[in-house]
Amino acid sequence: MDKEGEPVKKQPMVYICGDCHGENELKPRDPIRCRECGYRIMYKKRTKRLIVFDAR
Amino acid sequence: MDFSHTWESLEPSLKYTQNPNFGVPPGKRNLFLKTLGEPAVQSFDYMFHGGLKKAALDMLPVEFEMKNQLKIKLKINKISIYKPTVGDDVVPPPKIPETFPKECRMRNSTYKGKLFVQVGWSISKTPEGPLIAQVPFERCLGEIPVMIQSELCNLSGLSPKELVSKGEHEQEWGGYFVVKGHERILRMISATRKNYPMTVQRDVWKRRGKLFTDKGVFIRCVKEDMTATNNVLHYLSNGTMRLMFNFKKILYVFPLMLVLKALINCTDSYIYEQLVQGLEGDIYYKDRIVLMLRQLQDEGLYTHEHVRNFIGRNFRAKFTDLPKWYTDEQVCKFLLENSVLFHLKDNKDKFNLLVFMARKLFAFAYGKCALEGMDPVMMQEISLPGHLYLQLVKDRLASWLTVVKYVILKRERMTKNFVLTSSEMGIALSKSGKIDSAIENVFATGNLPGTADLGMNQNTGLSIMAENINHMRYMSHFRAVHRGAVFMDSRSSEVRQLKPDAWGFLCPVHTPDGSPCGLLNHLSATCHVVNTTQDTSGIPTLLVALGMTPVEETIHNNNYSECYVVMLEGRVLGRVGDRSATRFVDKLRMLKVRGAENVPKTLEIAFVPRTLNGQYPGIYLFTASARMMRPVYNIAAGTVELVGTFEQVYLNICVTEDENENGIFTHQELSETSFLSNLACLIPLPDFNQSPRNMYQCQMGKQTMGTPVHNWRFQTNSKLYRLQTPTTPLFRPAHWDRINMDDFAMGTNAIVAVISYTGYDMEDAMVINRASLQRGFAHGQVYTSKVIDLKEIGKGNSRYFKRDPANDDLKEFLDEDGLPYPGILLQERDPYYCYLDVETAKYSVAKYKGTEAMYVANINIIGADWMSGMNKVTITFRIPRNPQIGDKFASRAGQKGICSQQWLAEDLPWTESGMIPDIVFNPHGFPSRMTIAMMIECMAGKSAAVHGLVHDATPFRFSEKNTAIEYHGKLLEEAGYSYYGTEKLYSGIDGREMDADIFFGVVHYQRLRHMVSDKFQVRSVGAIDHVTLQPIKGRKRGGGVRFGEMERDGLVSHGALYLLYDRLFHCSDHFQMDICRVCGSFLPPLSNLNSRRSGFYHSQNALMKCSVCNDGGKMEEIMVPAVYKYLIAELGSTSIQEDFFSTVLLTFIHCII
Repeated sequence: MDKEGEPVKKQPMVYICGDCHGENELKPRDPIRCRECGYRIMYKKRTKRLIVFDAR
Repeated sequence: MDFSHTWESLEPSLKYTQNPNFGVPPGKRNLFLKTLGEPAVQSFDYMFHGGLKKAALDMLPVEFEMKNQLKIKLKINKISIYKPTVGDDVVPPPKIPETFPKECRMRNSTYKGKLFVQVGWSISKTPEGPLIAQVPFERCLGEIPVMIQSELCNLSGLSPKELVSKGEHEQEWGGYFVVKGHERILRMISATRKNYPMTVQRDVWKRRGKLFTDKGVFIRCVKEDMTATNNVLHYLSNGTMRLMFNFKKILYVFPLMLVLKALINCTDSYIYEQLVQGLEGDIYYKDRIVLMLRQLQDEGLYTHEHVRNFIGRNFRAKFTDLPKWYTDEQVCKFLLENSVLFHLKDNKDKFNLLVFMARKLFAFAYGKCALEGMDPVMMQEISLPGHLYLQLVKDRLASWLTVVKYVILKRERMTKNFVLTSSEMGIALSKSGKIDSAIENVFATGNLPGTADLGMNQNTGLSIMAENINHMRYMSHFRAVHRGAVFMDSRSSEVRQLKPDAWGFLCPVHTPDGSPCGLLNHLSATCHVVNTTQDTSGIPTLLVALGMTPVEETIHNNNYSECYVVMLEGRVLGRVGDRSATRFVDKLRMLKVRGAENVPKTLEIAFVPRTLNGQYPGIYLFTASARMMRPVYNIAAGTVELVGTFEQVYLNICVTEDENENGIFTHQELSETSFLSNLACLIPLPDFNQSPRNMYQCQMGKQTMGTPVHNWRFQTNSKLYRLQTPTTPLFRPAHWDRINMDDFAMGTNAIVAVISYTGYDMEDAMVINRASLQRGFAHGQVYTSKVIDLKEIGKGNSRYFKRDPANDDLKEFLDEDGLPYPGILLQERDPYYCYLDVETAKYSVAKYKGTEAMYVANINIIGADWMSGMNKVTITFRIPRNPQIGDKFASRAGQKGICSQQWLAEDLPWTESGMIPDIVFNPHGFPSRMTIAMMIECMAGKSAAVHGLVHDATPFRFSEKNTAIEYHGKLLEEAGYSYYGTEKLYSGIDGREMDADIFFGVVHYQRLRHMVSDKFQVRSVGAIDHVTLQPIKGRKRGGGVRFGEMERDGLVSHGALYLLYDRLFHCSDHFQMDICRVCGSFLPPLSNLNSRRSGFYHSQNALMKCSVCNDGGKMEEIMVPAVYKYLIAELGSTSIQEDFFSTVLLTFIHCII
């Protein structure tokens, strides 16, 4: 199980450029630069996890 | 200039919000909103276009001599600032090189452009030889903040649609700076009117020297590049006069005649004649003039040259910066040029002005003319951001240039056979540092550097944060004028008073209550701050053509006493006879209104007529920038004219046409509300309220939750309040639509029943219908942002965000990159972020410390300058803040209240039509507050709702004959309601009809940002102070609420002593100590070396002996407050011994006396 999980971990995360809104794959040590336009702010994508809070 | 957008009358309507295009950026800018940023933006543009050039010209060169006696001169030839771009160090360069403010806000950086200077330098070949100019150097001195929407800003000239695409608001008016991610404004501060000599009385002047009185004529001289200095002509009790001026912050006082003689080469009789003309009858005055002239003779100073050399000789030592080769004559010239009336270039003009000042001072000293003072608005102008900016740059450059000088001198000392070549010069320039951080610091903190001398009388509080709590708050920052920090702690209330001359310029309603009252004012909606510098070279000839005798020809004019002096920007131009003066002024005004003959429309013509002991007569003309002006209608010319603060005092301006029955008025107000500020214009029917209620509403409007921004995604503000369900008011003034308030909606329409129903609505509390709350009434949230910069977290220099792969528990909270999942709920002690320190190869997890649960709204990863990789992020949190008990609400009539209960809908009263109120308002709120406007709003809102209208709440539209109640009552009747807005209500408890008719209607309510969740404070046990062992204070640290002296008195007076004992002792700092019953001394001297204490403390008491008493005393253990022990220790350290029993006895005696 764990051995299968490891290659998945290596997959870099995907962020959205703050200017051109293009998707960028970034590894933790990559410089924060959009590959398309060179913008230096990235947005983190909203989680796809199901988030249910108590409806009160 | 077109001012039609500022007053054209509008009828409020729902057209704007009901338009299908609502929300689509319009093609054109809203001109009124554009004016909000204009004073700042235009003054910045002035700096960029002409100011920098003038400042460079005006900057003093740095001249000095080297060891080999070669002369060197350094001068700044040119200053230029460039548009903000991405730094050169960013590799590879981005596709768009420009930086936009959005990026700076999100990256917490400063929106800044490069500052370049051209340094010219000249050097002499031989010690005596002339200075030979060398090839100048171009140097970048760093990047300095650039004003948003100024011409240097990359947003300038963009259409609303383009602005939106750049992440800004469609009506972005600019006028502020983005410094370290925060929007900061350079404050508008009121300054003394420039270049006008005014009579002033000040007690401190008496202390300036022997014989000095408190009377003087003060003039604030301002050059074209806005460099300012003060000159005062003092009156001495022996009838003579002295001129005060300053150089480099040091004051100097010169006899008047000395200055007059140094200025121009003339005979004593000429000076005498100039001073005495028209006052020949006053023997005492003539005598004084003679005395002053004789004093100079007694000193042996007979001629112009004598005087100049005398001054130069004596002042040489003070001016260490001046080069040695300057002659005495040159030193004197330098002094006169740079300190005495420096707004005038010609010495002849300075002479004439000094003569005028002397005559005015004498008239003032003998009560023949009135005190003007600096407090009235007519004697004030506004120091604008661009002008301050220019002065700051100039000042920093000047000190930078002296640094260059010292660097050169130092290199000369350090190297053998030093020759200042071009390359040496280049090295010296690059070793002299940059000035960007000093300038940026002023914007970030509002404090001037200690060495700065900008001619301002305050060094702090120059910049403020443009808090965006809601649109009203944000807007009002741009129209706020501060009187100056000096007056904040002055005990006199004189400066705070609202004087009649402020009419139309400063809003009488919109000033805060409390300490800044009257000092922080707001410009009225139509007030305009002049920002253009006009070419006035043609005016003197024009005035001569209109009938003025030029000053050169008035030397032998014998009827001086029957004419007015004409003065343009502090320069005496000539005289106009008494009889022709009115005609002269009228003609000039006509030219001004038409803009003919190059007379600027911003010319201010202050004609002070001759009155008994009134203001000193004359015709004073002003064209310079920074003055307040406002548009009024000129009846004779039939057009709009701009009038200034000084000018207005001598004009007859009527408010409405029917006031002008007898035709004495020359001008008419453009609208009845033109004296109100933007915020005061938004109060519904302020003319129906008691006046302080309007002031309260101006304050509360600024604290309302609403829609502060539309670019939520790009905001990194530390706190933003958002109202989820705003509605547009049904009863509103026309101004609401004029400034597109619906774009930034705030407040909610609520059904209000004015009834004392539950007992939970006493003392301004209000009961809210729980069903309404559950349906979204006044729902809101708070957004906060936090910057996490791994650079600042510790020492090492390589860290980045990453989740610890070994810790599987983190997966629930943190994503693979070590940051939380956007969208999840974060609770206290949840993992917040995780990072890897490369040097130690260790993962660290930070826990969320706040007590309030919040949602992670979004995360921005920022490319930092530190190192590549993910090491800086901003996390925006969303905190849901739906109304709860303890939250604050207010109507728009200064009626605030706290929600005291969420009442069940089924228990609330209902009307015949089945309506249940959203808010139950206690009727006792009305009688003492007299907020009639709120009652009218209640009726008007109801009739607007039933008829599908929006009613006009502009003030002064209703009168005694045409009452608001009649108007709205009729409309209500038409809709089948009671004329008075009342309804029959049925009790929600037992269903019976109530006897009383209940006032029931629709009122626009604001939800204020003060919420219990931010304020509640509870504690049982917790942190204590480590010195006193008492509970600490402060909500943040889990401290307690202080149980103070007054509270203690309360318990004492009730005799509740055990409670007191419990609160102040057991729950605070109780402490056990050993005491000797015989001598009454405490622990320090008690330690008995012979008895070793071991085991349990209490059981070993018997072993304790007093070391003071010979027989070992009698030991006892008692309870004392820990601070008391501390006191004894402190006293002991100063060799004071404490006798406990005497203290107790004394305290007891104290209590019974």
